[in-house]
Amino acid sequence: MQAEGWLILAVVGLAVAILIPQAGIRARWRRWNSARSRVLFEDALKHLLDQSQRAQPPTRESLGGALGISGRKLLNLIARMEAKGVLQSVGGALRLTPEGQRHALQVVRAHRLLERYLADEARVPLGQVHSSADKAEHGLTGDRLDELEAHLGYPQRDPHGDPIPHSDGSFSPVDTVPLTDWPVNASAEIAHVEDEPEFVLRQILALGLRPHLTVRVLEACPEHLVVSDGEREHRLPPVIAANIHVGPVADAGVRLAGSLRLAQLPDGREAEVVALDPAFRGFSRRRLMDLGLTPKARVRAELSTAFGDPRAYRVRGTVIALRNEQANRILVRPLEGTGAPMGAL
Amino acid sequence: MTPQEVLAKSDSLRRSIGDDFRDRTVASLYEQSQDIACRAVRARGDARWDFDQRIDRIVTSRVLGLPIMLALLAVAFWLTIIGANYPSQWLAAALFSIENAAAGWFEAAGAPWWVTGFLWHGVWRGLAWVVSVMLPPMAIFFPLFTILEDLGYLPRVAFNLDWLFRRAGAHGKQSLSMAMGFGCNAAGVISTRVIDSPRERLIAILTNNFVPCNGRFPTLIMLSIVFVGAAFSPALASIAAAGAVVTVVLIGSAFTLFVSWLLARTVLKGEASAFTLELPPYRRPSILRILYTSLIDRTAFVLFRAMMTAAPAGAVIWILGNIHAGGQSLAAHVSAFLNPFGHALGLDGVILLAYIIAIPANEIVVPTMLMVYMGTGMMTEMSSFDQLRTLLVDQHGWTLLTAVCLMLFSLLHNPCATTIWTIWKETRSAKWTLMGALMPLGFAFLTTFLVASIARFLA
Amino acid sequence: MGINLAKYDHLVALAGNPNTGKSSIFNALTGLRQHVGNWPGKTVTRAEGGFSFGGHNYKLVDLPGTYSLLSASHDEEISRNFILFGRPDCTIVVMDATALERNLNLALQVLEITDKVVICVNLIDEARRKGLEVDARSLSRDLGVPAVATSARSREGFHDLLATVAGVIGGQISTKPLRPKVDPAVERALDELAPMIEELAPGVPNARWLAFRLLDGDHRVRQALLSGELAELVARQAAPAEAANPLIALQGAQ
Repeated sequence: MQAEGWLILAVVGLAVAILIPQAGIRARWRRWNSARSRVLFEDALKHLLDQSQRAQPPTRESLGGALGISGRKLLNLIARMEAKGVLQSVGGALRLTPEGQRHALQVVRAHRLLERYLADEARVPLGQVHSSADKAEHGLTGDRLDELEAHLGYPQRDPHGDPIPHSDGSFSPVDTVPLTDWPVNASAEIAHVEDEPEFVLRQILALGLRPHLTVRVLEACPEHLVVSDGEREHRLPPVIAANIHVGPVADAGVRLAGSLRLAQLPDGREAEVVALDPAFRGFSRRRLMDLGLTPKARVRAELSTAFGDPRAYRVRGTVIALRNEQANRILVRPLEGTGAPMGAL
Repeated sequence: MTPQEVLAKSDSLRRSIGDDFRDRTVASLYEQSQDIACRAVRARGDARWDFDQRIDRIVTSRVLGLPIMLALLAVAFWLTIIGANYPSQWLAAALFSIENAAAGWFEAAGAPWWVTGFLWHGVWRGLAWVVSVMLPPMAIFFPLFTILEDLGYLPRVAFNLDWLFRRAGAHGKQSLSMAMGFGCNAAGVISTRVIDSPRERLIAILTNNFVPCNGRFPTLIMLSIVFVGAAFSPALASIAAAGAVVTVVLIGSAFTLFVSWLLARTVLKGEASAFTLELPPYRRPSILRILYTSLIDRTAFVLFRAMMTAAPAGAVIWILGNIHAGGQSLAAHVSAFLNPFGHALGLDGVILLAYIIAIPANEIVVPTMLMVYMGTGMMTEMSSFDQLRTLLVDQHGWTLLTAVCLMLFSLLHNPCATTIWTIWKETRSAKWTLMGALMPLGFAFLTTFLVASIARFLA
Repeated sequence: MGINLAKYDHLVALAGNPNTGKSSIFNALTGLRQHVGNWPGKTVTRAEGGFSFGGHNYKLVDLPGTYSLLSASHDEEISRNFILFGRPDCTIVVMDATALERNLNLALQVLEITDKVVICVNLIDEARRKGLEVDARSLSRDLGVPAVATSARSREGFHDLLATVAGVIGGQISTKPLRPKVDPAVERALDELAPMIEELAPGVPNARWLAFRLLDGDHRVRQALLSGELAELVARQAAPAEAANPLIALQGAQ
């Protein structure tokens, strides 16, 4: 009797799980299917826009390759896009219509704003934001996107340095050149790192090269480039260097001689804030500024825990604990002869 | 001029003034603050300026930091457990005597047995049990906690322990909501408000349940004494029992960190995250404020929520124990049905039944269990540990494995209804509430199943 | 508890940094006449209470303790929106006398939103113990609003504080708050944008702040502008008749 009871319970439970409206497995399957076709649709738009911006006219083959689909599926997709009026296909070549262009820019906008959110607010490592944003970008609609943009403080660039399209589809232009085209021995600021292909991005990030960093090309020949970031020298193959885009140095005063990171300031020493790392953005940056860690503020390393992280600093009369990961983003200049307790202000 | 024109203008101006205009604004605000403050303040030497710093050097030092913290926590617990004992007994005696007297009057007035039983032995008894077990420890623990809070010591605890939580992807202040969770998980969930970063706050909310609250402590202590302590010689028994309780707490803390780590890397990866922690100056606490926040804000609040859920639970328990079908109570039927499942987890059907109907409050798990075992019609308690041992081991086949699995289950299973309700109030999200309720239950099933299977395989 | 908070003559907001003894001031002023709940739709504690002074009933709302009003955190959003849209008759900014510089940052921001401000320099006893002498008159001169030194523990300065609040509300004390200087580029942008907002909502007292919030991308202000709530706000604020001639006039360093 007990075994039967369990069996009936299991069957009833399973039936409920499958059939319940909204939350049931059947409803989920249907929603998942429609979401998947939307993802495909939007990814296709992105690919077409990307190709046309590179002046490489997209084809049926390139689209199929980028999305990983072929045959009937690909033809269905193209037919659907044509029916929606976003695409014109002439022979094998594909072209976005103005409507398609507009739609594609919105997808790019969603992607780049999400990348900004993930990097600034969710503090996802730079190497992972692209793939995480790829998964999440499709659920966002116009209004939610505008809200997100306002929440992020209207950023102009994504964390890789690509411009974020405004809601009207325009975007601020970028004057950058690939590192391979930069003159030897001139300082340059990394403006943007291509986020695809991802293994190249990861390789670049692993070397510590990222947007806002100041670099100098020491040597350039067809086989490799030698680049210095001020601390180390990197030897880069041109394929990789071409994925790094640079521009003139914006804020030449940031890297001052004699400055060090706040996390390295010895206990009991006093220092003056020089700057906050420009790549450190979002709520965390604003919170540190709001706490008074603005340029020229005086800080004193007050306390360390047994493990050296976090440490506490006195700034503008209050003791604030910071993790080293944060304190590393603050450049300071130590002040001389500051063994004594700091004044009250 | 239309609003749209103004907005368009602000959009174009924003692009023209550069990305960092917020930074420049904050910097210039602080510069002016500095000037104004300079004019308004004059320093006359720095008498006592160092005072806070000296204390901080001690309470955050490598050698003394952790011991001081553990000592303070131990004292708070000791005071709570010892201090709550007698008031609990008095309260229970008073409330249960009201039950008996009222039931007597009802009978004398000729009320049918089920009216008396339902109202007094069901609803009232459920309430009385929860109030007498819950109120005294909370009324002691919360003021103690508030004293440490007002003194300014708690941020130092968060500072000392942050390294541990940082590795788990959580916030050092989670240690405070955990400490609060020892008093009551619902209060612990509310106290996560001090964590001002969304992701870390959710982590703290979802894992608070892995800290045993004072509704579960009596069960853990009882099991430790009856089963673990009894396995050792009388001289070592109490040390072994205390060790068992501490071990359970440590397992709970390890689970908290592990699950925090898991959450931060999976479902909560996309939530916003930040870290700030101010270490305010030490200040003398104000007694009135302590009494107000701890008794009105915390104790009365939690007690009220618990009573709202305990009363219906008392009613359900009474019905299960008193409605008979085929010569057995409903409770006996249900527990027989649950038995195979309970066995797989190292428990039995009665224990599972007790946990299901005691979702409103963990305090009534053991009384409900005893009610079903003994076949009485109301929640019951035993007068001595020896009697309890006889009942559980000799009559109902409990072993050390049952006790261990029950301790683990009690530590890990789903939060009580009050806590679930509080998670809902705090997150306003069905998703996180469901997760906060079911994830611990899943871990409880998994852990006890593994422990039981491994133990049976080895035996 | 025991008080009908729905019936009051004046609404007063209490702003300040965390750990400035703001809640001690709140408790000392309201005693047990207080109610603790949540801000609507948020899990941020909202404490409100009542007190009487000089024959008037006041409702006091304790805003969340924040370092600034510029970020997107819930606490800061609640505080700045209450001061702007909740239309308190007066806002008390509680400052920690031992860390004036940090606290002034918030005070300067509050002064951008509203003229009706009283500065409460709290923990004056602790400052004295630490060898600091705080000159409230100097603060008041610089900020253009009255400043009162208090100690919540000994209730020192409480009568002064309440009398000053009553004076600011009644118009016996006129205030002209300091408008903090900002970066020249931002200043130019504000100069362009603020008149447009004034044209849209004539008489709005804080066009500069609203302009700054628009630049910063405050969704709430954007919506208030689009829905016309801003213009309504001005109409309601203008309603109470201006008091006769002020006895004390304060003017911030411009």
